[in-house]
Amino acid sequence: MAVLPMKRVLICALNQDRKPILEQLQRQGVVQIEDSALEDDIFTKQDRSEAQTAFRKNADMAARALAVLDKYAPQKKDLKTLMNGRRKMPVKVYEEHVQKRDQTMQVCRKILSLEKERAENAAALPKLKTQMVALESWLSYDLPLDYDGTKATTVFAGTLPSAVTLENIYRQLAEDAPQAEKVDVQIISTSQVQTCIFVVCSNSDAAAVQDALRRRNFSKPPATSVNPAEAMKELQQKSQQLQSTSVELEKQLKENAVNRKEIEFAVDYYHMRADKYEVIGRLSQSKRTFVLQGYIPAKNAQRLENWLESQFDVIVEYTEPGEKDDIPILLQNNGFAEAVEPVVESYSLPGKGEMDPSMLVACSYYILFGMMLSDAAYGLIMLIGSGIALKKLKDMSEGLRKTLKMFFFCGISTTVFGFLFGSFFGDAVNVIATTFFNRPDIRLPALWFEPLNRPMKMLVFCFAVGILHLFVGLGAKFYMYVKNGEIWDGICDVIFWYMMVGGAIAFLLSLPQFTSMMGLTFTLSAQAGKIVGMIALAGMFGIILTGGRESRNWGKRILKGLYGVYGITGYLSDILSYSRLLALGLATSVIATVFNKMGSMLGNSVGGVIVFIVVFIIGHTMNLAINALGAYVHTNRLEFVEFFGKFYDGGGRPFEPFAVHTKYYKIEEDDSE
Amino acid sequence: MNNMGVFFALLGAVLAALLSGIGSAKGVGMAGQAAAGVCTEDPSKFSKVLILQLLPGTQGIYGLLIAFLTMTQIGIMGGSANISLVKGLLYFAACLPMIIVGPISAIHQARTAVASIEMVAKKPDQFGKAMIFPAMVETYAILALLISILAIFGISGLKM
Repeated sequence: MAVLPMKRVLICALNQDRKPILEQLQRQGVVQIEDSALEDDIFTKQDRSEAQTAFRKNADMAARALAVLDKYAPQKKDLKTLMNGRRKMPVKVYEEHVQKRDQTMQVCRKILSLEKERAENAAALPKLKTQMVALESWLSYDLPLDYDGTKATTVFAGTLPSAVTLENIYRQLAEDAPQAEKVDVQIISTSQVQTCIFVVCSNSDAAAVQDALRRRNFSKPPATSVNPAEAMKELQQKSQQLQSTSVELEKQLKENAVNRKEIEFAVDYYHMRADKYEVIGRLSQSKRTFVLQGYIPAKNAQRLENWLESQFDVIVEYTEPGEKDDIPILLQNNGFAEAVEPVVESYSLPGKGEMDPSMLVACSYYILFGMMLSDAAYGLIMLIGSGIALKKLKDMSEGLRKTLKMFFFCGISTTVFGFLFGSFFGDAVNVIATTFFNRPDIRLPALWFEPLNRPMKMLVFCFAVGILHLFVGLGAKFYMYVKNGEIWDGICDVIFWYMMVGGAIAFLLSLPQFTSMMGLTFTLSAQAGKIVGMIALAGMFGIILTGGRESRNWGKRILKGLYGVYGITGYLSDILSYSRLLALGLATSVIATVFNKMGSMLGNSVGGVIVFIVVFIIGHTMNLAINALGAYVHTNRLEFVEFFGKFYDGGGRPFEPFAVHTKYYKIEEDDSE
Repeated sequence: MNNMGVFFALLGAVLAALLSGIGSAKGVGMAGQAAAGVCTEDPSKFSKVLILQLLPGTQGIYGLLIAFLTMTQIGIMGGSANISLVKGLLYFAACLPMIIVGPISAIHQARTAVASIEMVAKKPDQFGKAMIFPAMVETYAILALLISILAIFGISGLKM
């Protein structure tokens, strides 16, 4: 349970070995490579961003090709593959795939061009559709639409807006172009929005007739060089062709799905290469050698050195990190505590000189979560669900595994508290016995007490847990002071507070008014009350005198000390904050009770049983989901705000080793070094 | 007039569920819009923003809880609903913290949740912190809930 000690590592080797060394380092994933500070006449850094960009571009192309494949040949995604994460790949297969990478990129390019063609095709179809719709009203016209007449006549076809009758058209023509005599108009088709007409007139009248029609918003039809029926046929053929090409293209795309694995590999491979080139940019290089600097967990140091020196001409040098170094943080804990590492990480990793709080967080986290959810059945569901997932799915990511483990432990604690407080799907045992078996005497007895009946007792219990939690936090602060050799600060900032807060609480317990209000069965004697009161006062004076000890000026110092004492209000609100344990615990059981009651409303009948089962399943699923979420959020809050507030600041930098950050495959060394 | 007791008690219960429910509905709605916006850009953040969206929903549940507790105590859910006017008014008063604090805290929590959703959209790794900000607001809903619960249980013990 600790922050792993780190060492600074410096590797100096020949440029000819650079590629194998970096590749092996990447696969081992134990070194975090830092920007090398070494830069002078001999050693320079190379800018490799161009190569890096090229690789990222390839990776991006492969990823896009995959997205296309997902569209046409979607993969079945069940929960198991989703949870399992990356697949394993032996080094041998890896090498084979590397050989084929250019081919794979060809395939990607082809997939993308096929998809582009298909998209253009798909865009062309609606265009054809509109053309066809426009032609439909001209189907009975047997001249090409752009036919403009014979020697002596002018012909024009076109549409008038809205439905118009033939008489109307003639009348309008007579009004607007009285001089035109030889005009023949035929209606090709009429619909509500337009009338398609065809006009023949002598060449001399053409201008006047056209002018007259234009005033009525006459417009030209879509031009076709053949007659509409034939044009229509052409369009239909074209669209059929487009459709069949689309189908063909889709088929081709689907066929390419056999290459999915290679393409997935390409995504991984090019990301890896890009990462490597990023690292190369951080190295200092001379003509024939390069220098690599970074951090490595101390436990891996010896092995790396042996391994490198056995294969290459190389100098590996380890140094202890100095005071000023910003050492990256890697946590290591046993199975019980590592489950809450993601929680600690999501707050912040331990800063310089801070301890790893995982163990303390783990102990309290499970208890607080259990008290908030506090239903044995819900606990068992969580326990079994996460247990099965942990057992069945071996390849899931580290973070997911830890989180599942956390829920496993939370499930245990929830089950325990559920039995202590006599809650199993709320009061389901009693409701089922009463409704369906007419035995109201059967109920699940609480091993300790039922909070719903004695909320005051539960509240006091919550406060007691809270005080303990806070004091453990203070204790952790003291431990850190002692570890850093600042015992006097430890006494001022922790011991005095223990005295003041602890003494004040004990003093309250000696007041009969207070204990009767809290429903406690015991009261400390007045004698003891006096003593603890003195201790509290001593603690208070200690804080007044030392709270501002960084100030030289005594007046300032006392004022700061007084302000420090004011911090006791913070303790009051911290302790009260633990009342959420009661409120959320009650929320779970009361809502469960509501659903049980709703379910049992139809009484003991066939319909009643069915309704009960339906309401029971839906209701309890919802209750579990919402209250598990609530318990999770508020446990985090109690840990982050109340608990960490006492001793933990965080601010550490996570250890991010140069490693294989792949999405699909996990490359396995066959020689298990 | 003396049998108006049960009316005031029920009024308190119903208002607690009603107003807290409205507050939560509004709150979850606000947060949901922000969450949907984030999901259009990046569907993989769905689970994270969903949790943040749900946070302002708890007030509605607390309101339901108070309503249910009151209704069982006054005998609306089976039993004799015969309580004195004073006791009825006391139940009404007991529900007040939830009636008032519930909806207001839900909406303020929702505003914080929206901000947190934006935070997760930009920095998904800061989810742990983003979750705490709305949870801070919820504290006051929980305190109100606590006082309402304690008062309701306290009243049922009184002989009036």
